[in-house]
Amino acid sequence: MEAPKRDTAWGPMEVHFQAAREAHAALQEAGLEVELHQPNLPIFAEEGEAKRLAKKKADEPHEWRGDAFLLLKDRERLLEALSLIREQLAFQQIVDVTAVDFDAEDSVLWGVYQVLSLTKKARLTLKVHLPKDDCRVASAVSVYPGADWHERESGEMYGITYEGHPDPRNILLPDDWVGYPLRKDYEFPEEYHGISCV
Amino acid sequence: MEEPPQTTPPDQHRLREIELDVRTQDVEINMGPQHPATHGVLRVLLRADGEILVGAESHLGYLHRCAEKIGENVDYIQYMPYTDRYDYLSSMNNNLSYSLAVEKLLGVEVPKRGQYLRTILAELNRIASHLVAVGTYGIDIGAFTPFFYALREREFLLDLFEKICGARLTYSYIRPGGVMNDAPAGWLNKVAEFCDIFDQKWPEYWNLLVQNKIFIERTANVGVMPAQTAIDWGCTGPMLRGSGVDWDLRRDQPYLVYDQLDFKVIVGEGYRGTLGDCFDRNFVRMYEMLESIKMVRQCLAAIEEGEVSHPDVSLTIRPAPGEAYVGIENPRGELGHYVVSDGTKIAKRMRCRAPSFVNLSVVEHTLPGCMLADAAAIIGATDIVIGETDR
Repeated sequence: MEAPKRDTAWGPMEVHFQAAREAHAALQEAGLEVELHQPNLPIFAEEGEAKRLAKKKADEPHEWRGDAFLLLKDRERLLEALSLIREQLAFQQIVDVTAVDFDAEDSVLWGVYQVLSLTKKARLTLKVHLPKDDCRVASAVSVYPGADWHERESGEMYGITYEGHPDPRNILLPDDWVGYPLRKDYEFPEEYHGISCV
Repeated sequence: MEEPPQTTPPDQHRLREIELDVRTQDVEINMGPQHPATHGVLRVLLRADGEILVGAESHLGYLHRCAEKIGENVDYIQYMPYTDRYDYLSSMNNNLSYSLAVEKLLGVEVPKRGQYLRTILAELNRIASHLVAVGTYGIDIGAFTPFFYALREREFLLDLFEKICGARLTYSYIRPGGVMNDAPAGWLNKVAEFCDIFDQKWPEYWNLLVQNKIFIERTANVGVMPAQTAIDWGCTGPMLRGSGVDWDLRRDQPYLVYDQLDFKVIVGEGYRGTLGDCFDRNFVRMYEMLESIKMVRQCLAAIEEGEVSHPDVSLTIRPAPGEAYVGIENPRGELGHYVVSDGTKIAKRMRCRAPSFVNLSVVEHTLPGCMLADAAAIIGATDIVIGETDR
């Protein structure tokens, strides 16, 4: 396959937008409820825009820039969506599994899955909302074995239960660590086994 | 290249038969966290049945510094120095990945000269990193001298980095909006001089280390990873290419000026044994250094006078709301930064997708069935940097 055209200094953008649109159509066709979110600001800022933004916050917070992503509405069907993305859409490799706690006030965390297609040379971002009071989702390890350690990491950092994970122990944190450090409402401990943390 | 002599793979089944004649007990061996061959504070719990490994388990976290949490509490420029400390052997590439992600949200493109300088530095840094990787790998498997040869050339590179940004290890040179400053007078000539020197010195490494009979015996047919395993487990960089998968982000998702450069993606070919063994990973690293030199030469020929930084980007950065993921080809694989912004000075999420972390996760599955003495060879060939696995 031809190498994708480089349209920005940070890599091809149009290829990824195209991949997101195609995946959106394919997932919807399979009966999965998916929303496609595409940035509505142009890829490149106008001259002086960055300077203006640096002084003052943007007036329109609904205007955004960056990558497009897909939002899966029903988290119970995550594995179905991921298998389809892997088998039918040829995204062979999982690049990253992580989560985002956007705001302490929010009731949901975002589970984020980055996948890469070695044949189409494109990336895709799939998101799923996880309610903070019932933070569980199916483990992607059965579809993408590479999700193993990523899920262990975001599990311990955000308190997400990845159901069906073969080895859901802590990976970076000690086994007896209390709390989920990357949540926005996390309170730093005063001490750990007699070691002062302040 | 001469026709390589093929060595036969060890007959694992026959070895096991001999072992099963005797009543034995599995032994658990603790490798690390202070073991020279783990390249940092990594602890691997090995389970051995005689001389053959039956299980392995990595314990990480000794160097966890909460970088991602810090990223949600400091502003964009203040976070720069933390990216240096992920993979301290290739800080330029870490800076680059982070800067590109922020620039994607800002929507600004660095002027041409800045892009060429970034490319030159990223490639020089790749050579410096691969020199350490191949050099320390020699130590892991019993060859001490080549490491000092490698440090000799790396010293030249570190001097070059010191001249351009003042630091020898944690550079913070490539930053959102461009680079810290233009190259000092005569610096580009020095880089050209390095290219000439390195071309002469490269055969020394090749002949002294990689073509050495002991090196081949220790690496050929050891730790074989099939291409499908490498893809499934998310391996990137020399680990993936060593298994014969033709994938390089510099060619397949070109950023900076890589689309204008003429280079070859080095893929393992089972030169001395089975495709995907430890030898192939080092083979890829060795030849990638020559490709990097080729790219640097082309950049030197094409670079023109001009601005190095975008005028709109100052020390205060408030990117537009949104999220950006940028993955670049680091010496160890795909280094990605995933930045979520809400339009304020401080990011909402600062995720670093570290190649060493992912490449290490597959080692647990490669080790069982190998000889105990090969554990160091296999972990070493993964070329992990603990600063990056633990972040």
